[in-house]
Amino acid sequence: MKNFKKTYLSLTLFAVFMFSFSYMLVPLYDIFCEITGLNGKTNQTKVLNIDENPAERYVKVKFTSTIANSAPFIFEPVDREMTVQIGKIYNTLYTLTNNSNSIKHATASPSVVPSEDAEYFKKIECFCFSQQEINGLETKELPLQFIIDDDLPLDTKTLILSYTMFNTTDQIGSN
Amino acid sequence: MTTMHALVMIFGAVMPAFVGLANWQLPIMIGAPDMALPRLNNWSFWILPFAFTMMLSTLFMESGGPAAGWTLYPPLSLQGGDSMPFVILSIHLLGLSSILGAINVIATILNMRAPGMTLMKMPIFVWTWLITAFLLIASMPVLAGAITMLLTDRFFGTTFFTASGGGDPVLFQHIFWFFGHPEVYILILPAFGIVSTIIPAFSRKKLFGYDSMVYATASIALLSFIVWAHHMFTVGMPLAGELFFMFTTMLIAVPTGVKVFNWVATMWKGSMTFETPMLFALAFIVLFTVGGFSGLMLAMVPADFQYHDTYFVVAHFHYVLVPGAVFAIIAAVYYWLPKWTGKMYNEGLGKLHFWLTTIFVNLTFFPMHFVGLAGMPRRIPDYAVQFADFNAIASVGAFGFGLSQLLFVYILFNTLKQKVTAEDKCWDGAEGLEWTLSSPPPYHSFDKAPKID
Repeated sequence: MKNFKKTYLSLTLFAVFMFSFSYMLVPLYDIFCEITGLNGKTNQTKVLNIDENPAERYVKVKFTSTIANSAPFIFEPVDREMTVQIGKIYNTLYTLTNNSNSIKHATASPSVVPSEDAEYFKKIECFCFSQQEINGLETKELPLQFIIDDDLPLDTKTLILSYTMFNTTDQIGSN
Repeated sequence: MTTMHALVMIFGAVMPAFVGLANWQLPIMIGAPDMALPRLNNWSFWILPFAFTMMLSTLFMESGGPAAGWTLYPPLSLQGGDSMPFVILSIHLLGLSSILGAINVIATILNMRAPGMTLMKMPIFVWTWLITAFLLIASMPVLAGAITMLLTDRFFGTTFFTASGGGDPVLFQHIFWFFGHPEVYILILPAFGIVSTIIPAFSRKKLFGYDSMVYATASIALLSFIVWAHHMFTVGMPLAGELFFMFTTMLIAVPTGVKVFNWVATMWKGSMTFETPMLFALAFIVLFTVGGFSGLMLAMVPADFQYHDTYFVVAHFHYVLVPGAVFAIIAAVYYWLPKWTGKMYNEGLGKLHFWLTTIFVNLTFFPMHFVGLAGMPRRIPDYAVQFADFNAIASVGAFGFGLSQLLFVYILFNTLKQKVTAEDKCWDGAEGLEWTLSSPPPYHSFDKAPKID
């Protein structure tokens, strides 16, 4: 019977380990995406070596927006397209309007296409993932400051930054 | 309803049927009195009715049953009705039941073999179950983790998969299929074991390449953990990822090919007879290979972009699961029924059941290849008019297939009423310890462990 106990215990431990492993996959996935730069997640490091003499190279940056699950918002970029010099800081704005009569909370999540180049799209100031509280019928300006890294591959001519705005009022309420 | 169909068939039909077979057969095949941990076993079984009562009760809820597919992908599964938490809890319970069953299987096989039965002398069915049990213990907790994350995302404000908080819905697909691919091998490896037992018995030859069979099973199991993303080629993976998962997936065809080759080689120049279990085992080899080939087509990334989420996929996995796993279960029932009951089933009716089942199964699933290639999407309850004819054929096949299983139920009852008792060794080519016992075997078989040379 001693053997049974050993088998039983080690197998149970194995099952418990695999359960925690499934949770370990979450950070592992993020690390993997960060190392390989996949997944279109933009680089959020604030440290930058700003080149005093940026190269004479220009790319087109397009801005788009989406509203998730037909939330009562109007959410649009002020500039739909900019031609930017690489290595230089640029500012732009998105505007968010609350079409309903009540206070809402909203959060935006960003994504860059092509996803392989997401790591070269550096945002110095960004409203992503921060809770926006917005009164009924109010319009807010959401500033964005970014720089395109020098190391951007030469064959990339256009970058698209897209934001999806989520209505998180219910989640805030439940917390 | 599609979600329910998948969950009930996987967790309520095929898996319990295999675990049931393991509980009957493992002790009498390895010369043990019974399974190692009877209370655990009891627990594992009695969880099932409760879990399924809960799962099926969601059908009567105001919001209806779950409707996110058995894969439960967010964001859809996070937006569904009230049935979701119930389904998730019942899947937790089913997973628990499977893990307990698997622990019991491993404990029995590792500790209770008859003296002299080394690992490489075990019957092949025992080997496939040993490997399946390890797959269960490794993969079921991962599913439990994934659905727990769904649950906390929905009710406790975590954002593993909720994009508004920086979560990633694609992450769920990765975790789910890390469980999901081993899971489909859990559904097929015991079937390989059954077929590898039946083919030699009716060919009156030893199984060709026993060792390679064991190694092939083990390598299929190991490979199953590194191929998961072939279910999600269209999520926008980088080229390197697509290539990796394409090649590893194709690699699985090698050990599977070894198995098919060994089965054919076992029959080669054997004195074959075609009783019902053998017929089902032969149909398994042919039809499973059809499913395997369509699997290879799906494994090719450029082709998969066209086939993804069409009825071609539905045809593929039904070919490996119905004439695959289900045929093996039916074959096993016919093969061991005389042993379990002490009575012989009616051979004529058995053959009738075989032909009806095989014809209707193909009538049901073969047309799905065509509508799938023509672009009919899966999981959508309506379809364009040009698919109507093939769908009508498939419907006729499905009704025929369902009705012919009533004949199977009749055969089982009819067997119990037979007057003639079956011999202890009712198949003359059968080998293994179970045939040295009386039919039916006593409650505690092998009070004295048999010696194996």
